Amino acid sequence: MLNLDGLTRYYGSFPALEDLTLTVEDGCLHGFVGPNGAGKTTTMRILATLLKPTRGSAQVDGVDVVQNGHEARKHIGYMPDFFGVYDNLTCEEYLDFYARCYRLAARDRKRMAAQLLELVQLEDKRETYVDSLSRGMKQRLCLARSLIHDPSLLILDEPASGMDPRARADMKGILRTLREMGKTVLISSHILPELSEMCDSLTILDHGHLVFSGTVEALADKMNGNAPLDIRLREGCGEAAVENAVSCLKEIPFVTEILQPEPFLLRVRLEGGEEESGRLLQEMIRRETPVCDFHRAPMNLEKVFMEVTGDA
Amino acid sequence: MLNPILSFSATRRMRSLKTMLILLAYVAVMLLIAARILFPLLRGQASIGALSSSTTCYAVLIAVQFVLLVLIAPAMTSGAIAGERERQTLELLLVTNTRSFRLVLGKAMESFAMLAMLVVAGFPVMCLTLLTGGVTLGGLLAGELFLLASAFAAVSAGILASSLCRSTVVSGVLSYLLILGIGAVTALPMLFDFPESVTDVIYNRGRLAALTSAESLRMISPVLLCNPGYALAALLQGQLHLFDDYMQYQGVGRLLCEFRLMDKAGGVTIALISSGLIVLIGLVLLALAAAAVRTMSRKPARSGGK
Repeated sequence: MLNLDGLTRYYGSFPALEDLTLTVEDGCLHGFVGPNGAGKTTTMRILATLLKPTRGSAQVDGVDVVQNGHEARKHIGYMPDFFGVYDNLTCEEYLDFYARCYRLAARDRKRMAAQLLELVQLEDKRETYVDSLSRGMKQRLCLARSLIHDPSLLILDEPASGMDPRARADMKGILRTLREMGKTVLISSHILPELSEMCDSLTILDHGHLVFSGTVEALADKMNGNAPLDIRLREGCGEAAVENAVSCLKEIPFVTEILQPEPFLLRVRLEGGEEESGRLLQEMIRRETPVCDFHRAPMNLEKVFMEVTGDA
Repeated sequence: MLNPILSFSATRRMRSLKTMLILLAYVAVMLLIAARILFPLLRGQASIGALSSSTTCYAVLIAVQFVLLVLIAPAMTSGAIAGERERQTLELLLVTNTRSFRLVLGKAMESFAMLAMLVVAGFPVMCLTLLTGGVTLGGLLAGELFLLASAFAAVSAGILASSLCRSTVVSGVLSYLLILGIGAVTALPMLFDFPESVTDVIYNRGRLAALTSAESLRMISPVLLCNPGYALAALLQGQLHLFDDYMQYQGVGRLLCEFRLMDKAGGVTIALISSGLIVLIGLVLLALAAAAVRTMSRKPARSGGK
């Protein structure tokens, strides 16, 4: 289990991360989303013991990452947003080297390397030099490297960046397998839809602050409360009827915005929730506007992301 | 378990053509110098003059090797840590269970092993000086030990510079400056005269003769003993009495005093003690490098951290 408590990091006087408190359950695929500079990489680097927080604590499987970094590293696999590969080394030697750095016994090193090369579908590249691999293959090899010591928590910083759709699909498949193996995976991206497809839960960061943390469904529910209302009028009801509907809406005090994306479709934003939208419908019927459909406009995840991070 | 950084870096280095070329060039330079001994012997011209030039050749071989090793070490180590930073592989090492000291020790040992290989490859050429006498096998081994100690300190200075810099080029420049700095600082006592009481002893042949080796050794500044140049001079004086002509002059001051003390204390002994101190300096530099590796990695790059 991963526990962050009041995690804060300043670069000089610049707050890269402020008071982040978060819990991620075992075996969960947790997405970390936010625009550039949101604090995702800072959080991940603190968890990987590469950075000390200004204050706050982080625990992985009960081991404090800040106080006991050496022990915590046994539980953490880290894959940054760059490859970090050597020339003059084969894939098997590359994995063997990192296995040695984690002090694995010779027998375990060979077994783990073989299993991981199979997991990341590179078993036929054992003897191939690392620098001759394609970008997607290097990425998968780096994933294998981060798993070489069988960590319980895997930290992946933008693992799919720069990959083609095929390679992305392969990576998603591997991540699903890891979840089935019971690994806790923390994965960052600035593309919310990409993560929502595979993650059990999400954390959205913006300017170093926690904006949302919960399941994808909870996020959608939360955002749908703020979604605009789509009011469709009967086709061919005439311009006068549409103008009447618009003037009716303008008289309702809690309506904040009226748009007309189509000739017989009005998109309305209002302050309040279900009660206000009910009152709005009652008023429109009382004024005999020809309403034939009335519902909240569905929010796609891209819009949710923009709404949540305040850039809509 | 063998240090993984050492075995891994050595594997990569030995697969590089550059390594073979360096080895070849090093031995070629040694053979060129040694040709001066070989040719007269091969022609059957083993005269007294030839024997004398053989001892000079030994001195040149030791001095040239010393200079080559000190020049090669920074070039070899400048990329040890800075190169890992440039390749973005350092962080991947720091998140493993390899501690910083093990990391820098592995890197240092790998570079040192390469330099030691050069010294070992040059040893048969050095042994040619044994053919004509004037140098003993023990003296030769003491010389090799001194070269290895100097190489280790130069490697350590290079590793420290490499752990402080983000670029290999800057690290290389800093390495040379660091080595020059250490050489200059440890040579500082040469700028000052001995106290009058000490010079009185040194200039009075009777009183100097009455001194024991240990007493004369204690008169030498410990700072100066850490200077590889001083150790080299002591070694050559101890083995070949290379500076005897120079010691005939009077009123040369500190330098003359040092040569007389070297003679009295035993040049080879001084070189061996110096070698030990030089290795100690190397270890201190490595400890500093280990501290610098993680500290530098925690600093955001100049482009700004995310």
